[in-house]
Amino acid sequence: MSGPAWRFWGRDFGSPIVLASGTAGFGLELARMGCLEGVAAVVSKATTLEPREGNAPPRVVETRFGLLNSIGLANPGVDLILSEVLPLAGELPCPLIVNVAGRTAEDFRAVVERLEESPVPFGYEVNVSCPNVDAGGAAFGADPCVVGRISAMVREVTRKPFSVKLTPNEGSIARAAVAAEDGGADGVTVCNTFLGMRLDWRTGRPLLDRGSGGYSSPALLPLTVARVHAASRSVGIPVMASGGVSRGEDILELLAAGAALVQVGTWLMRRPSAPAELLAEVLDLMAEP
Amino acid sequence: MSRDARQPVDRECLLLESREILSRIWRVVLEVPPGSYAAASPGQFVQIEVSPGSFPLTRRPLTIDSLDSPDRIQVLFEETGAGTSLLAAVRPGAAVRVLGPLGKGWDTSPGRWLFVGGGLGAAGFPFLASRVDCSLVLLGASTAGRLLPLPGLAVLTATEDGSVGFHGLVTGLLDRVDWRLVDHVALCGPVPMMRAVVRAVPPGMSEKTQVSAESRMGCGWGACEGCSVPAADGGYLKCCTDGPVFPASDLDWDRWKGVRG
Repeated sequence: MSGPAWRFWGRDFGSPIVLASGTAGFGLELARMGCLEGVAAVVSKATTLEPREGNAPPRVVETRFGLLNSIGLANPGVDLILSEVLPLAGELPCPLIVNVAGRTAEDFRAVVERLEESPVPFGYEVNVSCPNVDAGGAAFGADPCVVGRISAMVREVTRKPFSVKLTPNEGSIARAAVAAEDGGADGVTVCNTFLGMRLDWRTGRPLLDRGSGGYSSPALLPLTVARVHAASRSVGIPVMASGGVSRGEDILELLAAGAALVQVGTWLMRRPSAPAELLAEVLDLMAEP
Repeated sequence: MSRDARQPVDRECLLLESREILSRIWRVVLEVPPGSYAAASPGQFVQIEVSPGSFPLTRRPLTIDSLDSPDRIQVLFEETGAGTSLLAAVRPGAAVRVLGPLGKGWDTSPGRWLFVGGGLGAAGFPFLASRVDCSLVLLGASTAGRLLPLPGLAVLTATEDGSVGFHGLVTGLLDRVDWRLVDHVALCGPVPMMRAVVRAVPPGMSEKTQVSAESRMGCGWGACEGCSVPAADGGYLKCCTDGPVFPASDLDWDRWKGVRG
């Protein structure tokens, strides 16, 4: 491989850019648009044991400086993902990390156990931090004991690497990262969206049907840098940074904070060609004397 | 997996013309890459970056109003907030980033078409009329000054304030339609208006009605599921890639509340 390489889970990648869960589907739309250049890996939408319709619309609302979403882990369930989606995703030009979510701790183990039937996943991202569901979700990620227990349960059923996606909303992210590592995780993703809400002040009604949602924005970059900095100094496993990236220099800053790879999410929704553009910026900046 | 030539392209496009055709309603003509919109169909849309900076963060989804030539598209939009005001301020000669064509358009079956539009919902009708036989348009708006001009089409108008045409909602014009002469209905407007029309058309006609849906959109290309609309058989459909044009019978009109705020 010519040029710089980023090592992660035993592989060398020519790019530090990973597509964040929920913003790239299973990578198939981007592949058809020819937009996977510059992508080290795709993290899929959440996969759950049963199909999930997702939350009632409106599911997204733009704010002056960001985006609130409340999708609610909409997905067709692990059976359909195994039979219809993963065979297609196996054709992607980059590895797929399957994001896994559950209503109970046991669900995570069960979903990963099923996904082990497929050779396609390069690894998993265990989502203990979704702000948009009642059962499971961020409530798991807030408690280091639960993070450790879920990590250990997933470890029992797979030898593939997995990262635990942590919540920024409650508790110490460093303690949650340590708990994931102690439970056997191979990495942590820092972090999921921030809990937010918008109201119509005239009526007092929330703009999202569910009320609150997950907030993402380039303005959140310093919050992610602080969390990546703290988490990466607390654990020996690699940290995938997620939150606030819209420039090549943001990626380099998160790498400097201790990230091994950096996820791009909301900016990808705006710019499907973001990975190639951001990688070019990164390489240009790295080449500066 | 190689790039599909029918897929949307994302390019800096020269803004050729920008004109305020009604108060705060703008018509913009954009030069698109040669050939990239050759297969574009009525009802498809584009995602436009209204600012080269980070904010507003998401693009603005706008229906393709007409395809003047293979390399020129026209879009119509209303200044309703910071994003659309930024787009209104872009002057001819500047470039804006345009992703398109996106979504599924109208099923342009042969036959006689009735168009029913509310407010800016009629924006895509000229493009559709270039591909089907439109015998009549029912066009509603709050007041005379909000009625979109639809040159070359036979139009019956309704205004809520009675300033021109029928005094009331566009549904009040439905009983003037000779339904024996209608094979297809194209419907676009605010959700309450579309719901009222879908429920008011004669029996058998709702199966021949297509609607162009509106939803707050995240990506616009099928990944985020932010724009989902309720499906008649339960669950949701993606407005951006399953639509934005749907058979009216595919949507759950009880659960669909439309855009809020």
